[in-house]
Amino acid sequence: MSNKAVEEGVPYSLHCFINEGEESIKTAPSTRLLTILRDELKLTGTKRSCDIGRCGACMVLIDGKAVNSCLAMAYQCSGKHITSIEGVALQGIDYIQQAFLEEGGFQCGYCTPGMIVSVKALLDDNSEPTDDEIAEALSGNICRCTGYGGIWRAVKQAVERKRQLLAMEQKEELI
Amino acid sequence: MGMNVQETLASPLVWHPQTPQEAWQLKQTYGTESIYISGGTLLRTFWESGMAAMPQHFIDLSTIRGLRELRIGEAGFLIGSQATLQSCRTNMLLQRHFPMITEAIRTIAAPSIRQLATIGGNVACYIGDSIVALLGYDAEVIWFDGIAEQRSLLMNWLQTGQGAKHDDKRLLLQMVLPFEEMEQETISSDEADKLSSQMKRFGAYHKVGRREGFTPSVATICINGRLTGSGVIQHIRIAVGGGQTVPSRLDKLEKEITGAIVDNQLLQHAYERVLQLYEPREDLFASAEYRKSTAANLIAAELWKAVRDDT
Ligand SMILES: Cc1cc2nc3c(=O)[nH]c(=O)nc-3n(C[C@H](O)[C@H](O)[C@H](O)COP(=O)(O)OP(=O)(O)OC[C@H]3O[C@@H](n4cnc5c(N)ncnc54)[C@H](O)[C@@H]3O)c2cc1C
Ligand code: FES
Ligand code: FES
Repeated sequence: MSNKAVEEGVPYSLHCFINEGEESIKTAPSTRLLTILRDELKLTGTKRSCDIGRCGACMVLIDGKAVNSCLAMAYQCSGKHITSIEGVALQGIDYIQQAFLEEGGFQCGYCTPGMIVSVKALLDDNSEPTDDEIAEALSGNICRCTGYGGIWRAVKQAVERKRQLLAMEQKEELI
Repeated sequence: MGMNVQETLASPLVWHPQTPQEAWQLKQTYGTESIYISGGTLLRTFWESGMAAMPQHFIDLSTIRGLRELRIGEAGFLIGSQATLQSCRTNMLLQRHFPMITEAIRTIAAPSIRQLATIGGNVACYIGDSIVALLGYDAEVIWFDGIAEQRSLLMNWLQTGQGAKHDDKRLLLQMVLPFEEMEQETISSDEADKLSSQMKRFGAYHKVGRREGFTPSVATICINGRLTGSGVIQHIRIAVGGGQTVPSRLDKLEKEITGAIVDNQLLQHAYERVLQLYEPREDLFASAEYRKSTAANLIAAELWKAVRDDT
């Protein structure tokens, strides 16, 4: 066992990357990422609801993977790249957000940031998901307004847009 | 030892051991003031619901070297306790050789939780849904007792650890899934050769909850067996769990039906024995009787399907 007492009493500083910016945040190591985003950084697009991983309103990307920010603690985010819904829209409205707008993929909108983040994680990883894969990827996002029809249409449209975007990219590469 | 940091007195110290020995030593030093933590997803639900107080020392197991691997080893397929559930869910080798495990993991929480949650945490909490599938494949566990690595059948490990629950100091390192050999439990080697070509494998994993997805289990079962060409059970593993019940193998029933033909009488016997042998814990959502009969129905139905598909 090494240098036991060296760091004892030293305040913890979380060093990570949030929406492409480098951050050093003084906090307790057990502070939840959700609290850091909303209360420290005022990134309130990430929503808070159940606090125990059940609703998906607090979804963010950690190193590109969808994770509930109410479950991830500061020490688990050290050195990681975190993208919140604000980061998804960094270059203007994202194609997934556009699909949600056009297909009426929200009612009150509370679950929408979390839904969009989950869809982004899915499509970044798998551009042609099956219906089962979509259902699995979104199984942790609950909509309290419960109208899943519009959400489903929005996701299907986003899948189609992703396909078109990839086709365009391929064409440009060939030229 | 890596870091040990705190900001306020109220916040826990997080220790990042590099080896099982270091983790073990920390647990010895801080005792009930400390806790082993992997993904922290289950612990978080305890803290939030007031079922447990957040201890002063976190012993973060994710920094122990080499515990994230999934690979084929001499003893079988090895799964490190720190492998996230999602990395298990998407592992092609695991999917090919032990599909009921990836299926079990598909039904655990949602992908976003599985990115943090580990298979070690799921097993070490004694009630995780992956345990039932692991039991169906005769899984062994490798754990550290403070002096050396120990190896035992998961089935036995669960029994001895049950009482200790969250004060348990045993450190789970790996799960081992043996690749199945043609077993000679009930037949001679000549017969085995003759029958191996006609042998039929069957298996199923079911988690029944109160709704289709993202739901706690009412009953979880795994059945894994082989039938001879004439419908005789040649090898079988039956595991059950769900809710707050520590999963177990119905090994008495397994012995009773090995070597028997699957017919109506056997199905009836199996159904009744599940009711007698399985002892689930009840909670506000489901009675023990309901959990028993759900498990018994699932098991009898799977045995029936195994022969029906054969004819
Ligand atoms: C919203 C939600 C839904 C869930 N749904 C399910 C479900 O459907 N099915 C299911 O089975 N579970 C479910 N869980 C429970 C839990 O998240 C999982 O079981 C998960 O696998 C626990 O892993 P973890 O790494 O987060 O464990 P942790 O929370 O870190 O630890 C769990 C326990 O195991 C101990 N521990 C962890 N690793 C080790 C080790 N290597 N050696 C010794 N002890 C260890 C810890 O001290 C603690 O007591 C759910 C949890 C949440 C939050
Ligand atoms: S607030 Fe995180 S999942 Fe509900
Ligand atoms: S749109 Fe209201 S919660 Fe989903």
